[in-house]
Amino acid sequence: MILDPVLDLFRGNAVTIPPFDGAFRPNTRLDDARAAAPLAEADNLARLPDGLVAGSGNTLYRIEAGKEPAPFKSFGAPVAAVAVSPSGELAVATETGALHIGDREEKPHAGIGCVTALAYAADGTLWLANGSADHPRSQWSQDLMRHGSSGSVWKRAPGATSFERVADGLAFPYGLLPLDGGVVVAESWRHRLLRIGAGAPVERLAKLPGYPARLSPAPGGGAWLCLFAPRNRLIEFVLQEEHYRLDMLATVPPPYWIAPSFSSGRSFLEPLQCGGIRTMGVHKPWSPSRSYGMAVRLDEGMQPLFSLHSRANGTRHGVCSVVEEAGRLWVASRGGGCVLDIDLADLAREAR
Amino acid sequence: MSFRERWQAWRYNRIPSHLIGEILTKRWTDNAIPFLALVVTLAIFGSAISGFFKPAALQASSRQLGEFSLVVTGVTVVMLGGGIDLSVGAIFGLACFSAVFVFFIMEQSIWLALAASLATGLVFGAVNGYLVGYLKLRAFLTTLVTLIFGRALFDILVTAYAAQVQLSDAESPILDYIGDGTFLGLAISVWLAVVFAVVTHIALTRSRPGWHVLAVGGSRRSAHNAGIRVGSTVFFTYVFSGLCSALGGFLIACRLSGAGPGTGQNLEIMALTAAVVGGVSLGGGRGSVVKGIMGAIIVLVMTNGLIRLGYGTGTTQMVLGLMLAAAVTIDIRWLKNRHKVLNEVYVAPVYLKMGEAQSAEPDSGTPYELDNRLSAAEHIGLGELEGPEDVILDRDDHLYCGTRHGEIVRFFAPDYKRSEVFAHVGGFPLGLAFDRDGNLISCVGAMGLYSISPERKVTKLSAETARSLTSVVDDARLRDPNDCDIAPDGRIYFTDSTKRYDAHDWTLDSIENRPTGRLLVYDPKDGSTRTLLDGYRYTNGVCMAHDGKSLFFAESWACRVHRYWLEGPKAGTAECVIKDMPGYPDNINRASDGGYWMAWLGMRTPSFDLSLRHPGMRKRMTRRLPQDDWLFPNINTGGVVKFDESGRILDTLGDLSGEAHPMVTSMREHKGYLFVGGILNNRIGRFRIAGADENWTSPASYWGGAK
Repeated sequence: MILDPVLDLFRGNAVTIPPFDGAFRPNTRLDDARAAAPLAEADNLARLPDGLVAGSGNTLYRIEAGKEPAPFKSFGAPVAAVAVSPSGELAVATETGALHIGDREEKPHAGIGCVTALAYAADGTLWLANGSADHPRSQWSQDLMRHGSSGSVWKRAPGATSFERVADGLAFPYGLLPLDGGVVVAESWRHRLLRIGAGAPVERLAKLPGYPARLSPAPGGGAWLCLFAPRNRLIEFVLQEEHYRLDMLATVPPPYWIAPSFSSGRSFLEPLQCGGIRTMGVHKPWSPSRSYGMAVRLDEGMQPLFSLHSRANGTRHGVCSVVEEAGRLWVASRGGGCVLDIDLADLAREAR
Repeated sequence: MSFRERWQAWRYNRIPSHLIGEILTKRWTDNAIPFLALVVTLAIFGSAISGFFKPAALQASSRQLGEFSLVVTGVTVVMLGGGIDLSVGAIFGLACFSAVFVFFIMEQSIWLALAASLATGLVFGAVNGYLVGYLKLRAFLTTLVTLIFGRALFDILVTAYAAQVQLSDAESPILDYIGDGTFLGLAISVWLAVVFAVVTHIALTRSRPGWHVLAVGGSRRSAHNAGIRVGSTVFFTYVFSGLCSALGGFLIACRLSGAGPGTGQNLEIMALTAAVVGGVSLGGGRGSVVKGIMGAIIVLVMTNGLIRLGYGTGTTQMVLGLMLAAAVTIDIRWLKNRHKVLNEVYVAPVYLKMGEAQSAEPDSGTPYELDNRLSAAEHIGLGELEGPEDVILDRDDHLYCGTRHGEIVRFFAPDYKRSEVFAHVGGFPLGLAFDRDGNLISCVGAMGLYSISPERKVTKLSAETARSLTSVVDDARLRDPNDCDIAPDGRIYFTDSTKRYDAHDWTLDSIENRPTGRLLVYDPKDGSTRTLLDGYRYTNGVCMAHDGKSLFFAESWACRVHRYWLEGPKAGTAECVIKDMPGYPDNINRASDGGYWMAWLGMRTPSFDLSLRHPGMRKRMTRRLPQDDWLFPNINTGGVVKFDESGRILDTLGDLSGEAHPMVTSMREHKGYLFVGGILNNRIGRFRIAGADENWTSPASYWGGAK
């Protein structure tokens, strides 16, 4: 209504978030799925020519359905991002900013200290997302709660020796999908996908109902997008509350902040919202939550087709990485501490 | 403490902003806007026109006001019944002509003239009522038709008989007296209007037909479903309106001793504006005669004032139109948004800096350390029970608990598999206690203190205490009676947790954190209830000490336990015995080893504790977010704490898995077992206490005797 801005002075303007609707309509597919392997802080799935790997802590593990993950490669610091080149070479970035390609270790650029994603284009160009210039990767929630927008996207053409910055001023780029000479970037704190190439960045998908993480190509064209936490009115409200938020950052331990998280409900010191109260033994799946698990199938135009969810009462939260391979979708749930293995043919049957 | 924090503490704790919400809950606030408009109108015209308040001027305008008020009273009743009456001006004019015709031309008595007037109103009202009420025609169009028809008839008659009336020499002292005389200083028309207004007001608010009118106006469908005869109710509102207009017409006939072409012209617009401006809702069901009269005064003062200030009829009509538009807008917006405004304004948080608490985390090494022991409790009534806030056992080992359906359920010993509804009380039975004679005393949320005899007879003991002098909302009523315990002399000590919220909104009180909790005592000897202590942040569990000389009570949102002395040198005073706990205490009960069990309904979280120091943030949160998104204390984890006579913490039990007993609001020890209840839970837990006295029972501990 035309009077709303005036009335808002008296009644306070409502904090609104996009709904889980349409292609984002909730289901329990992630919670129903079989856990292929337990893996604490599972993240960074990658498909090597001879099998699947996933990162946990400082180590990459080989993942096979039904088997304990076997250590594959260890690094001096937690693994931050992985990518496999068209020739099958593994690139791994660690939290210290070091880049391991094959057996070489290098320090790509002084301005890169928070690698969140790596991706190879078909021509061998290596794309790199630097989440924040102000905070290391482990302090990502600090970056969000301080309205960080110092992220950047870099690329190195095949044969080139150094990275060049393609875009900056991004609010935590978390996922990369090289496409037609450019790249699609998941800009997490702004809940959208950006197409970065020649010219100004273009918004391809906006108003996501959660915080996007990695993008990965789908064999049949299009892509998979992960969302690791839902948008939450209370968090969005706290982001606008200057004094409370700064006091919280200064005095409350980070796991207990009113902030998105990979998992929630583990400790009684975590914040609780009214809707999340367990009543008569039931935790409502639609209740507000700080963490969520969601993988979205996007078409070639980066528009959502369908999605897989782990809702507020589920456990497969903090989905940051998925890989599709031979009709199977592998999902790494960081909050759930496992790698899931989902038969896409089942999904298609269900959809019919 | 920073300056900002000190300012916040002052701003939110000293300025009573909660009163705005409390005042808005009053029905009379609906009258505030019209009343304000009345005062403003009187002030403006009173100062702009010299001599406005002189007795002579008032006398003249009061005669007009009397006639007009009568018409407005009629229109108000029609509108309250959900209709509208546009024909009042026409009826007014015709009634005036009838009186004039009977008196001046037929030269009959003045009483016959009155009868003719009233008959005219009756006929037209009945036509309107029949068409609208029984034939269900649209009120607006129907009365518009009557208006046009009546007006046309009036014009024809007046033109035809005007000269004859002029020539008539009929006279009557009664007519002169009604038209020009006064009674006790006031014009007859004013007296009539007052009598009509009072009678109508009483009829509307205190009588069955009046309630029917309001019910039909509020919702025809519901009224019909409730068995009210909608058609005849509507019919009679129009008949009443017709009679009112006719009486007005008779009065003007007496005052002017004739009928002119302008009599009653545009009266329907004025009357409608008056009713709406006064705050009578166009949608029906809301409003009152007083509002109508207020509107009548506003409109009359405004039109007369404008005319005396030299403005023409056009301007007057224009101002009336604008007033009507403004009033309709305010009426609709207010009606639509009142509850929203109230919701947003009502929660008025205060500032509180909680004390630093010891950790309750596992392996923290403190006495508050929570563990997973309660998850091993066997469950009773799983899936059958909803909300056993408190649990208690009798001398025969049967188990009793309240449910959110307002029932007291009894589970039979020894295995507690079978259950029955012991008594239906209503409300939400919370705290339970057995008295010396085996009566079950219960604090029933939203109702009061009740007693249930072994023969299942439910008796109300108390539902009110003395009202405090400064209260806006009546705080004599018990809103959230929470827990009770009984002293050796039979007096029942109980808590009323908050004056601000009803029992089912108890969690909202934690967001507001305003200290309004009370400790009360009910004396069975004379049936009186007294307030002992006031101003605590959600008083909750009560437990008589083992020696019966003092009692413990929990102050939930402040995470404290107090001891109130019944006798000894400190009798009548309270002292804090446990403070700064990491959890929110609920019920307290005796333990077999001379100590006490205390339930924790939830745990403090650093983010919520911090929000208590940011009342402005909490206020904005309640205004900007839907309730499901509000930040709450963590009531998904609770526990059971044991402490001794001195308040020292001995042990803490918990269910960190959150599956069986996420929150605990009560526990009762009985023969070596602890029975655990939770207000949001769907079961009672039965937990074996290691090393407890297997013969100890609560009834024996209180009242002695075997078992």
